[in-house]
Amino acid sequence: MRANPAVAVAVDGTLDDRRERLAALFDAHEDRLYRLARRLASSADDADDLVQETFLRAAKSLRSVPAGSAREEAWLVRVLVNIRRDEWRRAAVRRRSLALVDVATITDDSNLESALIAKRAVWAALDGLHPRRRAIVILSELEGMNAPAIGALLGISAMTVRWHLSMSRRDLKRLLERQIGDTL
Amino acid sequence: MKTLAEILRDADPLAYEPPRSPQERRARRQMILDAAHASDHAVRRPLALAASVALAIVAIVLSLFQWSRTAVDVIAAVRFEVRLAEEDPAPGLREAVIAGTGRKIYLHPEPVVVNSDIAHAALVPGDSASTFGVSLTFNADAGARMRRATQSHLGRPMAILIDGEVVSAPVVRSPVSTSALLTGDYRRADAERIVSGIVGR
Repeated sequence: MRANPAVAVAVDGTLDDRRERLAALFDAHEDRLYRLARRLASSADDADDLVQETFLRAAKSLRSVPAGSAREEAWLVRVLVNIRRDEWRRAAVRRRSLALVDVATITDDSNLESALIAKRAVWAALDGLHPRRRAIVILSELEGMNAPAIGALLGISAMTVRWHLSMSRRDLKRLLERQIGDTL
Repeated sequence: MKTLAEILRDADPLAYEPPRSPQERRARRQMILDAAHASDHAVRRPLALAASVALAIVAIVLSLFQWSRTAVDVIAAVRFEVRLAEEDPAPGLREAVIAGTGRKIYLHPEPVVVNSDIAHAALVPGDSASTFGVSLTFNADAGARMRRATQSHLGRPMAILIDGEVVSAPVVRSPVSTSALLTGDYRRADAERIVSGIVGR
């Protein structure tokens, strides 16, 4: 039985086998990964880069990618979140040392429409969350997944997921209240 | 009052960005497969090449190790600049991207204020008990320069650069002369580092 084409392809085989497996992974999971990446990254280009890097890591470690659609997805999602986490940490070091400064005697651009400002505020608030926590918020609030399912995908317990969700709601409430008023 | 899910849905980029075309997806698929294929060929080259790559990696690691030791000093000394900027490109202007936004801006060639123009920098309380800002006082020459520059630049952006990176580009609403306040909700250690970094160069 060949329920999942990726399973049947030898992971340590010829270049053609490896290319076939990678292509199968792409076909099965790229759309799902892009949707998550786009909600984790600040632009579509960054999301594309994130997805590309995830598949290139998979290509280097095809032997590590488990067989089966759900397990493949979980492996790829964790790699993607980890890549984003590494980027976020590098940016955080820069943010802390260089900081997102503003000059109080100069007011920021207020020509943008309020809806756009609100969107930017929301994404700025999300940018402040650790990528794993942000992924949990997205999977829960935008994709409607429950805590056990998120835990299974990210390789953590449902209790940990619930704790992250609770902390995220607290952090986002604080950040968004300051930026766009009492909305939560 | 909106729920968190509603707020996130309102701001969801997937809801308002155009969907990717099948052609784009195919092109990306091909690019990834080609890149992986090239990488495969690279690792299957002769041992001599592998040895030289390994040596190169060792050299890079060693240099990174050295860099990580010196990076502390680089971070400790902050290069601060204020430059006039424009929303649109023009001859003589340098394109830059505002960190964290992806928005492009076009910088005037000469900075208005640099580290040496800061007469005094100090910690000031931030929005909460655990956050701090940095107040900057320009020396007399720089103050006059800032006033002249900002008076003729009202309604246009001014870029704040730290270590060459545009970290903010607020629009000038009124002339700025003697001082400015950096409000970044810094932790105390970070604010102190900026203070010592700005005036220490």
